Amino acid sequence: MKRLLTTILAGITAAGMAMAADEKPAQEPIKIGAIFGVTGPAAFLGAPEAKTAEMLVDQLNAKGGLLGRKLQLVLKDSGGSPEKAVSFAKQLIEEDKVLAIIGPSTSGETMQIKPICENAKMILISCAAAEVIVNPLAKYVFKVPQKDSQAVTWIYNTMKAAGITKIGILSDNSGFGQAGKAQLEQLAKVQGMEIAADEVYDKAAKDLTDILTKVKARDVQAVVNWSIVPAQSIIPKNMKQIGLNVPLYQSHGFGNVKYVKAAGEAAEGIIFPSGRLLVAESLPADNPQKAVLMAYKHDYESRYKEDVSTFGGHAYDAVLVLTSAIQKAGSTDRDKVRDAIETLKGLPGTAGIFNFSPEDHNGLALDAFEMLTVKDGKFAEYKK
Amino acid sequence: MRPRPLVPVLAAALAVVALQVAVTAAGREYYLTQTIMAAYYAVVALGLCLVMGYAGQISLGHAAFFSLGGYTSAVLTTADLTPLARSGWGGPLLRLHLLQARAGLYGGETIGANPWAAFGGALLLTFAVALLVGYPALRLKGHYLAMATLGFGLIVYRLLLGTNLTGAADGITGVPPWRLGFGLEISGDGAQRIANYYVAWGLVLFTILLLTHIVHSRAGRAFRALHGGETAANSMGINTAAYKLRAFVLSALLAAAAGSMLTHYSGGIGPSEASAMKSVRYVALVAAGGMANLWGVLVVSATLNFLSLRGCFGSYDDALFGALLIAIVSLAPEGPLQPLTAQGRRLWSRLAGHRVMTTPEGPAP
Repeated sequence: MKRLLTTILAGITAAGMAMAADEKPAQEPIKIGAIFGVTGPAAFLGAPEAKTAEMLVDQLNAKGGLLGRKLQLVLKDSGGSPEKAVSFAKQLIEEDKVLAIIGPSTSGETMQIKPICENAKMILISCAAAEVIVNPLAKYVFKVPQKDSQAVTWIYNTMKAAGITKIGILSDNSGFGQAGKAQLEQLAKVQGMEIAADEVYDKAAKDLTDILTKVKARDVQAVVNWSIVPAQSIIPKNMKQIGLNVPLYQSHGFGNVKYVKAAGEAAEGIIFPSGRLLVAESLPADNPQKAVLMAYKHDYESRYKEDVSTFGGHAYDAVLVLTSAIQKAGSTDRDKVRDAIETLKGLPGTAGIFNFSPEDHNGLALDAFEMLTVKDGKFAEYKK
Repeated sequence: MRPRPLVPVLAAALAVVALQVAVTAAGREYYLTQTIMAAYYAVVALGLCLVMGYAGQISLGHAAFFSLGGYTSAVLTTADLTPLARSGWGGPLLRLHLLQARAGLYGGETIGANPWAAFGGALLLTFAVALLVGYPALRLKGHYLAMATLGFGLIVYRLLLGTNLTGAADGITGVPPWRLGFGLEISGDGAQRIANYYVAWGLVLFTILLLTHIVHSRAGRAFRALHGGETAANSMGINTAAYKLRAFVLSALLAAAAGSMLTHYSGGIGPSEASAMKSVRYVALVAAGGMANLWGVLVVSATLNFLSLRGCFGSYDDALFGALLIAIVSLAPEGPLQPLTAQGRRLWSRLAGHRVMTTPEGPAP
């Protein structure tokens, strides 16, 4: 028994020594950690984000990398689970000793690792939308998607211009839907909108005629729906079926041509706020975002043979913000890079023009959004 | 021969210490992070092992019990109970240390429940819920517990997703450290990692000791009789329903305790912990470990969860656990480690120099 234990102990110790002894090359690559929900319930966000990040790092390396060093992406698939995001964040911080972490895809995961990154003084550039990520402000935590409140402000402004004041709100029971619902309710008071109906449904619902009939009975002038797939395409169809012929407004989550195709003709005339990625071709040539948007769209679609989505664009922006800051700092010292992010001004990304500051770790203004509509099965700018 | 459970537990304790010494000597203490998390998941699998391997029942709701423990701790310790503390109840509650003040991460101070009190609340709640789910289901013959727990698990998952108190889809964050006394605390603080490692593996060894004791006691013999044939056991005067219920409630309590402690370690919890896929995972781990084989379940579940938490299976994580369950159920229903452990026991007795009958420790499947 004693001999067996000694053998086991010796074996474990030897294995540990062997692992410690691996040597490091002279010119190390700059390591960037990434946590995305490539599989699981958030795959519609995580999959295009992971592809985009891989593509960008490959492109930068083909051009010789940054500061004469190659970039290395350490990609982790969290499956949308917070406990994995926690494990991976600690791994990236302590073992891989990455310069910064981009992601996670969802607000829930981001909030779980926000304190971990802040305590470890690790730069985190989140691809999730919730406002709480940057408010209260954490010194090392940034985010690149537009805020929900900005999307809601755009919707209400557009409604008021069209003379609409009495509306019905629909939202699904996902985190995205509930965050949007909270903003819609809060800003309705400020903007003087009357919410005549406020309904929540299951995110996997296949038919929503029942709650739409309820909304119809309240005599609303317009309907706002805040949800993820597939309800975004079911609601316009159901509205036509029950003869609820009022304008339908949706969230910025509608920004993928797939959802238009799923809704068919019923999608015509849907109005929603979005970044400019979806209408990149029709932007005037002097738009500062046009070059970035066209390049991303072309590169992504030719490499992966699938339509570009605004979600992948968040990963694009996260890599862009980080690499711009490394270049500006002229160093891979983490604190210098963090400081450099706060000084980035007028940086065109896919979500908008970024203007970071020590008080604003999102850097996007209201003009990051534009109102789009569906015309002949395609996205087009909405004009009153 | 009456096995002495203390010997293998002591050997395991030595292995736990050896692992820590080895990774510290190698300067790779970060391996302990996932080892700690895997230990808590192993406790859930060990508890489920009692239900599946010994009482012959399947529970598809253990992820729900785990999150019941985790969420109760998270809700009670993060909720701002300042109004309660200012009311007439506040004085006695604070004096009994059921409430504690803590500094917020971004300034300010809030008053929440003491983690010990929250832990007690989590166990009480789980005890009541497990009784409620198990009592009717276990009085019936057949796999009614599997159906009842599957439904229960789905309900808990939906409730967590739809309740603002539990943070809906985002879950709860900012769970404070749990100070155990003697300078120990359960928290993700890097300086406390070795202490956390011993707390987590201490719980694992305690669980093994408790379960081996039960398995080799009067109750254990009742379980074996029950597993062999419920009618026969009943006719021998064994109250099978009561024994099954006890096993089920105990394993639910172990899952809740693990959930509560892991939540303090991670600093938060999300609804994915309660998903049906997680419950299936625990069942797969118990099946892979050999059903009625506590050590097999411990080794398999700690190893697979460690690798999974380190992201070794990449995007194939869920697929791997599903495939594992299918493979075992169709190819080796008695558990893939069973032949191996029988071999090991034969080898062991030859090494030890005396002849021992090689009877499997658990009941025949």
